[in-house]
Amino acid sequence: MIYQENMTIEEKLSILADAAKYDVACTSSGVNRNGDGTGIGNSMASGICHSFSGDGRCISLLKILYTNECVFDCKYCVNRRSNDVVRASFTPEEVCRLTIQFYRRNYIEGLFLSSGVKGSPDATMEALCETVRLLRQKYHFQGYIHLKAIPGASPELIEQAGCLADRMSVNMELPTAEGLKRLAPHKSRQTILRPMKQIQLRREENKNELVLYRHAPRFVPAGQSTQMIIGAAGESDFQIVSMAEALYKGYSLKRVFYSAFVPVNEDKELPSLPGGPPLLREHRLYQADWLLRFYGFQASELLSEKRPNFNLLLDPKCDWALGHLEHFPVEINQADFYSLVRVPGIGDKSARRIVQARRHHSLDFPDLKKIGVVLKRALYFITCSGKMMYHTRLEEDYILRGLMDGKMPKSRQEEITYRQMSLFEDGFLQKGGTANG
Amino acid sequence: MDDRLILLCEDSTDGMFTAVYDGWTFQLHGKEVEIRSTDEYEPELFCSFRRIETDPEKAEKVVSSVRKKLGIRVYEDICYVAASSRAVDKGTVIFRLLWKALRSRPYRRDIMEELTDPWVIRALKIRIQVWHEFHRMLGFVRFRELSGEILYSEITPDNDILALLGPHFENRFPNENWMICDKKRKKVLVHPRQKTSYLYYPVSRAEKNASDLAQPEEYEELWKVFCRQITIHERKNPGLQGQMLPLKYRVNMTEFTETVQP
Repeated sequence: MIYQENMTIEEKLSILADAAKYDVACTSSGVNRNGDGTGIGNSMASGICHSFSGDGRCISLLKILYTNECVFDCKYCVNRRSNDVVRASFTPEEVCRLTIQFYRRNYIEGLFLSSGVKGSPDATMEALCETVRLLRQKYHFQGYIHLKAIPGASPELIEQAGCLADRMSVNMELPTAEGLKRLAPHKSRQTILRPMKQIQLRREENKNELVLYRHAPRFVPAGQSTQMIIGAAGESDFQIVSMAEALYKGYSLKRVFYSAFVPVNEDKELPSLPGGPPLLREHRLYQADWLLRFYGFQASELLSEKRPNFNLLLDPKCDWALGHLEHFPVEINQADFYSLVRVPGIGDKSARRIVQARRHHSLDFPDLKKIGVVLKRALYFITCSGKMMYHTRLEEDYILRGLMDGKMPKSRQEEITYRQMSLFEDGFLQKGGTANG
Repeated sequence: MDDRLILLCEDSTDGMFTAVYDGWTFQLHGKEVEIRSTDEYEPELFCSFRRIETDPEKAEKVVSSVRKKLGIRVYEDICYVAASSRAVDKGTVIFRLLWKALRSRPYRRDIMEELTDPWVIRALKIRIQVWHEFHRMLGFVRFRELSGEILYSEITPDNDILALLGPHFENRFPNENWMICDKKRKKVLVHPRQKTSYLYYPVSRAEKNASDLAQPEEYEELWKVFCRQITIHERKNPGLQGQMLPLKYRVNMTEFTETVQP
């Protein structure tokens, strides 16, 4: 390790912000809190984005590591013990000063504090708690704080941290236990899931306290989140989505974040990614994540052992709909909310508007357009008072073609009725034969 | 006699509400009332015009009646519509909405939910445009520290959202002296420590204050360092950045201004 004496705050910030950038959770949402007039800060449940970095991600929190010194040796991490990088550590006072001064200028919504493991997990967690306590109590900071729980830290420290932070997170890192063992030998399923369970149970307990005493101190009011690395250990989308579902159901997580793997280290255990990080795959996973959380889908509906990965060309909902045409068409004027949101192109907002608007009178296609429902994809799957918008057929290939070239079918004459023949289709290829003979 | 009557009013919430107050009587007498702000005055045929002088008392009557009869939510929605600068028809939209909601018995507190009414659709559209900019502005406002611990910010929003920003920043920085200056509309929102904020019109005094920057601005440099370091270069995506943070807002933002070398 390289140590440097007497670093300026600028040098430290430069190193420790750079080291924190791969953490994707930068939301400031989930909790409404008004300032009490004595300190500085408040929080809005919707979250506020303060800036956007060159990669298009929102900057909402001052996202830094407390230190990048680390005794762990996780293969994918730039701060692993065996890497030869410059190490730096903040002091609690420095973190507080940066947070308050940035906050006053309205640069940020709050603090996101993570850390490498310096000494032991307990010692690190202790330092994080001390920093946040100083910020809350001495500086009367009432803005948003997102704190990492260090895997392996003692339950007492997690409890202390939870009373100070708005959101906490323990990173899942990899969806399979085998991958975790291989790439993060110092972490284990158990050290990750234990604090997660603790926070979940304590939050439920806290909810009951709040019913009894309205002013009881709140424990992790914005809930907990986690993060998984995508494409580092050869896991399938099905494994990832199933893991996310299990976390939402079993651990009441608010969010699971997915982070396309960016190779920062050379290691024989890690894949090389000549095409850059798997950003499209990450995008599909986020889409599926929304389907799990807001659209009432199950992981097993979207993928299976036999079909373990998402179609990169189609979004997961379209993909599902094409495989389940027996659920369609959906009648706009009668279907319930959950059938409506399952239509490709109709989301939570459109479905709600439809339900609200049809109370006054029945809807036809121009009405749908007026209230802002986008029909480009939906038109293949819906009827208004029994009529479809155009003469479209409810056939997989036909709809797929329409969706892919994105043009609206106009009339019967324009419809494509032929279909591209393929040499590799069933029947054309003899059993045991190969394409090049 | 022409049935269309166009009322010309000052482009402010008070102006709009005064026009609504006066327009009510005309509409009752069978006129088809439309409201325009004076800046967009363009003579038309087959209609008559009337200039409306802003009268805070009349405006206040409309405001309290809307708040009482239609609820605070509808009132807020209407304030957002009134703040729009792009919608020429905003006055008429407000008038039509209120006419429909207040002439029904019982009063239509759920007027904004009637998504099949063209005026409601139009109002929601304007409201969402303004709200969107307002919400962006909550994040994009940048304060600089002047000597004497005064925080000063300049904004150039498309819509007249300065007053709407007040409650949020008041709640967030109760113990700071801060000012937000709308350079386009030449007005300042001033908040003295521990007091409520107010609008102040001649900006020259605020601008004079603003030239007195506290030196050195160490934290502005640190913030630029942070913004540079947080970018993942393998994921560079200026298109997405531009979509989320349009160039027009960047002129007032610390992290996008070059450091001037002394």
